[in-house]
Amino acid sequence: MTSSRIANVGLVDHSRVVKFSFDGRTYKGFEGDTLASALLANDQMLMGRSFKYHRPRGPVTAGPSEPNALVTIGKDARTEPNTRATVAELYSGLVARSQNAWPSLNFDIGSINGALSPMLGAGFYYKTFMWPAAFWEKVYEPVIRRAAGLGKAVMEADPDRYEKSWAHCDLLVVGSGPAGLMAALTAGRAGLRVILAEQDFRLGGSLLSETAMIGGVSAPDFAAATIAELADMPNVTIMPRTTVFGWYDDMVFGAVEKVQKHLAVPSADKPVERLWRIAAGRAILASGAEERPLVFGGNDRPGIMTADATRTYLNRYGVATGRKVAVFTNGGSGYRTAADLSARGVNIAAIIDSRAASADFAPYGVRVIRSGSIVDTKGGKRLSGIMTNRFGYDEMIDCDALAMSGGWSPIVHLMCQRGARPVWSDEAQAFLVPDVGPLFAAAGSAAGHATVSECLRDGAVKAHAAVEAVGRLVGHVNTPEVEGEYDPSFAPLWYVPGARSKAFVDFQNDVHVDDLALATREGFGHVEHAKRYTTSGMATDQGKLGNVNAVALLAGMRGVSPAEVGTTTYRPFYTPVSFGALAGTARAEQSRPIRTSPLHGWAKKNGATFLESGLWYRSAYFVQGEEKTWRESVDREVLNVRQNAGLCDVSTLGKIEIFGRDAAEFLNRVYSNAFLKLPVGKARYGLMLREDGIVFDDGTTSRLSENHYVLTTTTAYAAEVMAHLEFASQTFWPDLDVCFVSTSDQWAQMSLAGPKSRAILQKLVEDDLSDASFPFLAAREVQLKGGLIARLFRISFSGELAYELAVPAGYGEAVADAIMEAGRGEGICAYGVEALDVLRIEKGHVTHSELDGRTTADDVGLSKMMSKNKPDFIGKRLSTRYGLTAADRLQMVGLKPVELDKPLKAGAALLREGVEPSMTAGQGFVSSACFSPHVGQWIGLAMLKSGRERIGEKILVWDAVRSSEFLAEVCAPVFVDPENLNLHV
Amino acid sequence: MSIPFTHRHILEDRMSGYEPSPNANHLTVLRRPVIFSALAHAGHEASVAEALSLVENIVVRSVSPSDWLLVSQNAEAGAIAASLGAVPGLSFAEQSDGQVLMAVSGPDVRKILAKCVAVDLHADAFAEGESAPMMICRVAGNLARTGTDTFEILVPRSYAGYVFDELREAGREYAMTRGFGE
Amino acid sequence: MASLITCPHCGRRPKEEFSIRGDAVPERPEAAASEEAWHAYVYLRENPRGAIREYWHHVAGCRRWLVVERDNLTHEVFAVTDAREAATGDAA
Repeated sequence: MTSSRIANVGLVDHSRVVKFSFDGRTYKGFEGDTLASALLANDQMLMGRSFKYHRPRGPVTAGPSEPNALVTIGKDARTEPNTRATVAELYSGLVARSQNAWPSLNFDIGSINGALSPMLGAGFYYKTFMWPAAFWEKVYEPVIRRAAGLGKAVMEADPDRYEKSWAHCDLLVVGSGPAGLMAALTAGRAGLRVILAEQDFRLGGSLLSETAMIGGVSAPDFAAATIAELADMPNVTIMPRTTVFGWYDDMVFGAVEKVQKHLAVPSADKPVERLWRIAAGRAILASGAEERPLVFGGNDRPGIMTADATRTYLNRYGVATGRKVAVFTNGGSGYRTAADLSARGVNIAAIIDSRAASADFAPYGVRVIRSGSIVDTKGGKRLSGIMTNRFGYDEMIDCDALAMSGGWSPIVHLMCQRGARPVWSDEAQAFLVPDVGPLFAAAGSAAGHATVSECLRDGAVKAHAAVEAVGRLVGHVNTPEVEGEYDPSFAPLWYVPGARSKAFVDFQNDVHVDDLALATREGFGHVEHAKRYTTSGMATDQGKLGNVNAVALLAGMRGVSPAEVGTTTYRPFYTPVSFGALAGTARAEQSRPIRTSPLHGWAKKNGATFLESGLWYRSAYFVQGEEKTWRESVDREVLNVRQNAGLCDVSTLGKIEIFGRDAAEFLNRVYSNAFLKLPVGKARYGLMLREDGIVFDDGTTSRLSENHYVLTTTTAYAAEVMAHLEFASQTFWPDLDVCFVSTSDQWAQMSLAGPKSRAILQKLVEDDLSDASFPFLAAREVQLKGGLIARLFRISFSGELAYELAVPAGYGEAVADAIMEAGRGEGICAYGVEALDVLRIEKGHVTHSELDGRTTADDVGLSKMMSKNKPDFIGKRLSTRYGLTAADRLQMVGLKPVELDKPLKAGAALLREGVEPSMTAGQGFVSSACFSPHVGQWIGLAMLKSGRERIGEKILVWDAVRSSEFLAEVCAPVFVDPENLNLHV
Repeated sequence: MSIPFTHRHILEDRMSGYEPSPNANHLTVLRRPVIFSALAHAGHEASVAEALSLVENIVVRSVSPSDWLLVSQNAEAGAIAASLGAVPGLSFAEQSDGQVLMAVSGPDVRKILAKCVAVDLHADAFAEGESAPMMICRVAGNLARTGTDTFEILVPRSYAGYVFDELREAGREYAMTRGFGE
Repeated sequence: MASLITCPHCGRRPKEEFSIRGDAVPERPEAAASEEAWHAYVYLRENPRGAIREYWHHVAGCRRWLVVERDNLTHEVFAVTDAREAATGDAA
């Protein structure tokens, strides 16, 4: 055993054993452990293999910036790859597996990549695999993908629930270390609504591993007391296990809360993760600072970690990372860790201090090598020794762990996500937070402070400013005294010269110093270029640990200051966020709002097959008896409507009530045809244009009383038309007295069509429906038998005698049932949108298949809808310009294949007979097509160049997608009742 | 032939079989409220708002400076229409079947609704008696605070099933029950 | 783009409640204006960097059209006014 648990030390509960497994072996940890601390307590230092070279790796941190200890946690569908063992909360039954190693972590064939590493330098993809091009997809990429990479995603659907939620506060505090706690306390006592978010499952941040005394009590006790006080405040919300990953415009922060990720079997009543959008008045970044690794030869062996991590494992988890630990430092941090280790009885092999002199005290009897360096290390799956060098003299020192400290980098990411760049400070030898305005401030070590007392004070000061800004009185908050602080100063040491093996900068991406040197030599020294060229700071790591070292090294190689090199761009997310959390409840059926028609139930019990149409589910066709194909059902429905009657759900049409003295004038301006003289009690078909002269939408508008109209839109454009009318009213003609409201949801609307529709409807309607008293285009309220008031419109899309009946939605199903019952003797059937489409194609009525955003009214044969007399309407002016009136525009025509059995399909191209098929020879296209049971063959509507002049011409229908080619005859776009005799019966 | 048409609530199918006794957190679907859209013509906004505040047996929900939803649990639609018809500069349309009214109440109601709306529902920001149009479960609706721990939601009928399902999921964590009520 | 927009009628709302039509600078010409003027109104747009004026529709709120003045570089929102107010110069 070399790393081990120390009895009764730390904040883990030594009385509560937690069993878990790693790579199939069962281990024991304690409640309060992370997976990493528990593995270390079991002397399992090796936790992963590196990305490119498959080098054995152990944890280098004890927190979220961990680049090495990435494991796969969970089983079956709950498998989650690339989880950082250093933040994974241990739970009973946790199953973890190592990644990127085959056949096993201990013996990994891929590590041969390490031996080949001279060939695998920076940019090797670009150079090695240039030629032959065909090899990239077939050979190189598959091989590289297998050899390099992280964990594998599972293919099963995630069984767990996810949610999103909003939160609002006056002050968001990110991080619960000394600065965060004091900030929350100060603002909380002043009565602000405070959210304190902490990514860890335990609040306290660095206080949890701090040995200094605060206000006479231990740092963890001070943290616990402060948290207890905050927890009692109704205005303070504490959010553990919550990572604030992004800062967005207007002080909105994104955070992900791991609600149940620490449970083997999550409760189905709660989400496993919750995505928070936090709208904050102000925010304080108290995210702390990251200790930097030192860049020396062989610095990646398992057992080498930061001094801070070593101390955290020791003080918080009661785990000694080795039996004989060496320390390599450029400042006081190394000494602090050495003191803590020594106090817990761990042997210190030596302290190697890069500085010639310092005021730091080494523990009694510990050898300090000043002006020392490490040039190489040895050991396989764990460190076994370090080669030190002092003034050119080597010395091998045995040790089984190394704590390194290369100075500190404030964790500035969140503040730099909206464009501001961190600012290099020569004094701090670090990038500090930029000034991003008064609403978002950094506090504590995130703001460059180093000691506990400074951090406590700074947290209070920054919160004080936030409290004053919102006009509250600041309560009395004492900053407690701190005893036993260390000297945090350090001397810069970006690269330890004389490395005899690879000195890694970015552990996760296996980027070492030579890679950066190569990038610089080859002209990729710009920080953004170097990142892409070497992959330094890519992937899940995003440079959290190695970026500052990389920047400083590039600066050294280019002979400039790190300020000049700058950093790469910081973007959300700070740590990876699962797709599940981002999707929230928007999965499968709930992935978007679904709209249900009031006649859905009626359609369902009549055997409807539904199709999605925008957010709606509409009844497509109704299968009856032995019908095997949808065509059989649709043909029957179409014929029945033309022979008897059919009932169709048209509730999805948009319905807009329009009121006002100027409603007629307003309609006259938004429609291209005239509306001023529409009589009360009448409906009129209307065409709306866009301002560019192209058709926008069509529908009928009925005048219910002098100043009250109801306008209908197509299903697809209901929302757009409403917005269009509102825009025209509010911005073009605010002086017109008109107002609108959508009543689309108030009414169940059904179309009863067919020669027997009047007879059927009359059985239910009190009012006289004879042609004389309720003629074509009549539109008014009627009373149903039983007293219900309905709206009845005599309009037809099918070309048959037809009515649209609107009743309050809640009665829709009952009324539809009654119509079906009343029509049984007349042979009524239910028909769906497929039959409706056939009926309208047979009649040559347009839909958005023809009104496709390119057609004018004239193109579809509706030039009579273009008023010549109105002074203005939307689209009028540009509808007459040259391009829209050219004689060779595509015009709507009908099509009938010459051979009766040829199926016409929408989208097929039209060509002159005899030409070689090609898109350049195109004369137009089929816009709508169907089998017409009335005509007895496939028919279509088509847009054809100068089409109206070409009636009778044989034209080639070329469908390259479905590989068909046949002749069709161009005809007038109406296949049934061209004189409209059926409408006026 | 006289036909007594049965009125059907769109959430009927979703309700059957659910627990009858409400928990502390509960979603009530109001079966037959009377609802109107009220529109003030330009220039009449203030006088219409004032007149609406005087109409008996209705509560007024804000939509825009010239647009309201009126809700009544105890008046006939005809009686309300008659009152509205007498207000100069006001047009109206019945929406009793076009809008679905749901009330969410209980100690965790704000936590439940925080999953559904982006608006801050702290009493300092959204006081009792306030109402506003807003996105509720990704659907344009109207939310009102009718008590310390009670909110009412209006959503268009066709979306009500979707919103109900989302609310039910949001309330699961807090054992929210649901049922029809008056 | 802004995460929260302060609607003059509804207060601070998430951007998901709005839909953006685009440039609010061009004004609809008189019906009799030249084809060039209409062409410019329908098709020609400046593409400025910095301060812009746009029409936003508060679709999931008050359903009013708004004029949002904002900076497309810094995302700062300077003003949000009711479009009717902007069109007529008086309160809606």
